[in-house]
Amino acid sequence: MEYKVEAHRIMSISLGKIYNSRVQRGGIKLHKNLLVSLVLRSARQVYLSDYYSGACLNAQSEREGNEWDITDSEREKFPPSATECDRVESTEEPQPNEQPEKEREYRENDDEVKSDQVDCTSTLQEQNQNSSLDSVAKVSSETPPESITEPKESPSDSAVAERDSTPEANGESHQPPKPYVCSNRKRSAEESESGDSPQKRTKVASSNAKEDEEAEEMDTSNVSNLITIFGSSFSGLLSKESAKPEAEAEDSGQICCDQMLKNLNPWSTAIVAF
Amino acid sequence: ADVISTVEFNQTGEFLFLATGDKGGRVVIFQREPQGEYNVYSTFQSHEPEFDYLKSLEIEERINKIRWLPLHNPAHFLLATNDKTIKLWKVSERDKRAEGYNLRDEEGRLKDLSTVTTLQVPVLRPMDLLVEASPRRVFANAHAYHINSISVNSDCETYLSADDLRINLWNLNITDRSFNIVDLKPENMEDLSEVITVAEFHPHHCHLLAFSSSTGTTRLCDMRASALCDQHAKLFEEAADPSHRSFFSEIVSSVSDVKFSHSGRYLLTRDYLTVKVWDLNMENKPVETYQVHDYLRTKLCSLYESDCIFDKFECAWNGTDSVIMTGAYNNYFRMFDRASLRDVTLEASREVCKRRAVLQPRRVCVGKKQKETDVSVDSLDFRKKILHTAWHPKENIIAIAASNNLYIFQDRLTPNGHHNTPEIQSCRQHHNNLMNCYEHI
Repeated sequence: MEYKVEAHRIMSISLGKIYNSRVQRGGIKLHKNLLVSLVLRSARQVYLSDYYSGACLNAQSEREGNEWDITDSEREKFPPSATECDRVESTEEPQPNEQPEKEREYRENDDEVKSDQVDCTSTLQEQNQNSSLDSVAKVSSETPPESITEPKESPSDSAVAERDSTPEANGESHQPPKPYVCSNRKRSAEESESGDSPQKRTKVASSNAKEDEEAEEMDTSNVSNLITIFGSSFSGLLSKESAKPEAEAEDSGQICCDQMLKNLNPWSTAIVAF
Repeated sequence: ADVISTVEFNQTGEFLFLATGDKGGRVVIFQREPQGEYNVYSTFQSHEPEFDYLKSLEIEERINKIRWLPLHNPAHFLLATNDKTIKLWKVSERDKRAEGYNLRDEEGRLKDLSTVTTLQVPVLRPMDLLVEASPRRVFANAHAYHINSISVNSDCETYLSADDLRINLWNLNITDRSFNIVDLKPENMEDLSEVITVAEFHPHHCHLLAFSSSTGTTRLCDMRASALCDQHAKLFEEAADPSHRSFFSEIVSSVSDVKFSHSGRYLLTRDYLTVKVWDLNMENKPVETYQVHDYLRTKLCSLYESDCIFDKFECAWNGTDSVIMTGAYNNYFRMFDRASLRDVTLEASREVCKRRAVLQPRRVCVGKKQKETDVSVDSLDFRKKILHTAWHPKENIIAIAASNNLYIFQDRLTPNGHHNTPEIQSCRQHHNNLMNCYEHI
């Protein structure tokens, strides 16, 4: 469960990178896009397998058993290296399990400020006391080149920076100090509203896609959102949806949006250019 | 900014040159003075930005690689490549000029013939040394993808150029034809799983070449086996450590540089976190593995976000294949002595490097500092990266490129001999704002 959040974030970042690579000087770099797509694929697998393990009930016990295995194997893969991300997730463990429905509700809510403030409750103390947030400081900010030098910030500041970058996805579980929240939330809300940076737009769009998935609704309108944002490059994907068989056994294709997600092959975009 | 994009000593070590990239496309050549220092010898614009009208893509003028030709002419030849086009440049000196022409005056203007009353024979007179660079060959339109490597064959007649998916073999004298010797492009591009990252010819065997891929494998190909070398003769791959598995495993295992040892017996490969020495006779694992900056293993997520994880570090052998060197972040570079297994971290930056200064080793610590001079992982500057390093083929002189600065370090004690412990001391620093001085060339 905790990996899903991180997986989602990595997916957003990866999609942003692919989008940005289209406007880079010198054309698309095949090597970098290949690597990004591999990361995207790994994150997607974790995300979907985690989703299944979390959402599937006992009715599908056999499949669920498989998914638990996958989740466990994924967990085996990730613990040593995703430690920094783990620490974030581990501190939130008490919360997410308690509020799965709330989480969906908030995720469907586009207004990050509202969702954050609602969740900004008892775990606030917990987050502040978490001194291991030094490692969290490494994990992202909205301006990547500066993020690495930001570790000099205090833990609470770094916690804020981390929260700030993934407000949509982690709305329910990240609780930065309240006064700081207001200023940062405002900034991020503005950014997502104005849609200035394509990266921010990407995250909002992809989180919309996730929301639909989690709500178990087949809503192609959000998918269309994603497509319009990425421009014509994604237009071919919908047509490929039916044509393209996916061999991933663990994704048995229960949910149609999941199917879309599987077929959201970033390769198509990079390859189109070649 | 004119960030240096490649550094290469020539075979005798007399010339060191570097090429600038990023809105540069310039090549700057340094020459070693008799006293041992390096000064600028020539500067010229090798590549210009171009536009591919068919794909509506701009082609960067950034020089990706430069390789000297091992010819023994009075002139020097080098190959320089950007993403799409390779050029052969001839760099020659002129120190004499013909004077006393009959039809033209000193400025080259035509004389009024009525003023010509006698005939004279033009004579050669000495002039100030002029270094001229002229493009002798242009090898274009052979690569659909971005060129990442060029390598001159030991036969001195052919060379290879490699892009993401293909490797082509050229004859240095023929520009309108090349042979494709490796092709990794799949039928369906959506099935693409790996790209070529670096390719290099063996230093002695003209039929052997090595190329590395984004999947962390390095292949040795024998051109005698078939015309198309998609089937490798040897595949050097180490099984991935399952305990290090993460989202970014594929990225950190991608090989960013391959170098044959001078002896031709070993291969040096660099991936994001390690540098490995392979024996050509053993494919399943390297004979030596050196951790360059393992403390970054827990920071891969943020390095991914900042794109630092895609940095392509190069590596280098010393002349006797006893020491290997590679760059890192925070303007640090690392050297590993293969015999003693000792390693050192040094810094190349303006604050540290004054003339004749002795470099002090650095240490990066995770957690609490044990010494005052220790540097915490959290305070590393990831914008300061040393991607390009070169080692003189015979002496203990190294060239380090740090963004737009070139540092040349020399071993103090035995400048001409083999040194077991690489103590690099006196240093000389160049700034790459040379455009102002040498525009006329």
